[in-house]
Amino acid sequence: MEVIIPILLLVMFIAAAYKKTSVYDSFVRGAKNALPVLVSILPYLAAMLAAINIFRASGALQGFIDLSSPVMESIGIPKELTPLVVLRPFSGSAAIALLDDIFKTCGPDSYQGVLASVMLGSTETIFYTVALYFGSIGIKKTRYSIPTALISGIAGIAASIIAVKLMYD
Amino acid sequence: MMNAFWGIIIFASLLFGLIAGQKGELITALITGANDAVILVFNLAGAYMVWMGLMEVANDMGVVKKLSNAVQPLLKKLFPKSKSAVAPITLNLAANFFGLGSAATPFGIKAMQELQKYNPHPAIATTEMCMFIALNASALELLPTTVLSMRAAAASNNVYIVVVPTFIASIAAFATAVLCCKFFESLEKRKGNC
Repeated sequence: MEVIIPILLLVMFIAAAYKKTSVYDSFVRGAKNALPVLVSILPYLAAMLAAINIFRASGALQGFIDLSSPVMESIGIPKELTPLVVLRPFSGSAAIALLDDIFKTCGPDSYQGVLASVMLGSTETIFYTVALYFGSIGIKKTRYSIPTALISGIAGIAASIIAVKLMYD
Repeated sequence: MMNAFWGIIIFASLLFGLIAGQKGELITALITGANDAVILVFNLAGAYMVWMGLMEVANDMGVVKKLSNAVQPLLKKLFPKSKSAVAPITLNLAANFFGLGSAATPFGIKAMQELQKYNPHPAIATTEMCMFIALNASALELLPTTVLSMRAAAASNNVYIVVVPTFIASIAAFATAVLCCKFFESLEKRKGNC
């Protein structure tokens, strides 16, 4: 599958030669357009990552996890998975580190390991996406985007639990 | 919404940290987070320039326009108004579907820029933007490549056991996102009429 993109590009460049498109000029123009975008998203990313970092470093995250853990367990989420569920909407790299922890403590083929894999694969870093995409064009009022994203994330988690349970029964 | 979320997180962190006896660490934590953002943007810069550059080549050749026309009937229901955004939206969804994360974000931002061109109130998200964000908040993936490689690295006996349940759960999240978006949209419309 990895070979598809290079082949598509090859076809595109053959066609470009045939059409006499000035590929170099076009590429440079496109790359130049990427730079202001990078600058405009930086403050939004900084705000987001600063908040996540202080939330973890202050111990507030752990407090929240301890508080929500019994609730999560009552709906079928093992306590090892609570940090993953809480952090997943904010940070992809944190979620990956947590999944690795779960693999080390419970094993990748345990119920926890499988459920965590499915949850990570079927959900997204919604707050990162919202901050980045809306930030890049300066949208202030996000309307119902965040509730929608959160509800679909919850649906993904619920469906993960059901799908894994069905597979084990 | 973002203001409330961000404010609550910072407030709770400061309160919690101060009670736990932290002082300077709290400021350091904020700055470290912002530093991470700088590093992240640097890491993203290369991929952005490559994909935006290649997309411009495709655009100048007319490929993007042809792609738009080809997928227009498919996406017309979800994005009825914004014609020029259809191509980057398609590329974004395709990159997500094939696990090409480094390309998905630049295409996604390009799509938002195109959607913004049709926005009469530049500070308020349009209905189509909300739909696009919803689709990205539950991005459908053919194979969860990151998870699979992590399972293999952790010496799993059955790496691929998660593929089918992941796909089912992803579809559930994806469908929920679209339905939820439509629901909130009709709710807002009704409110506006009263």
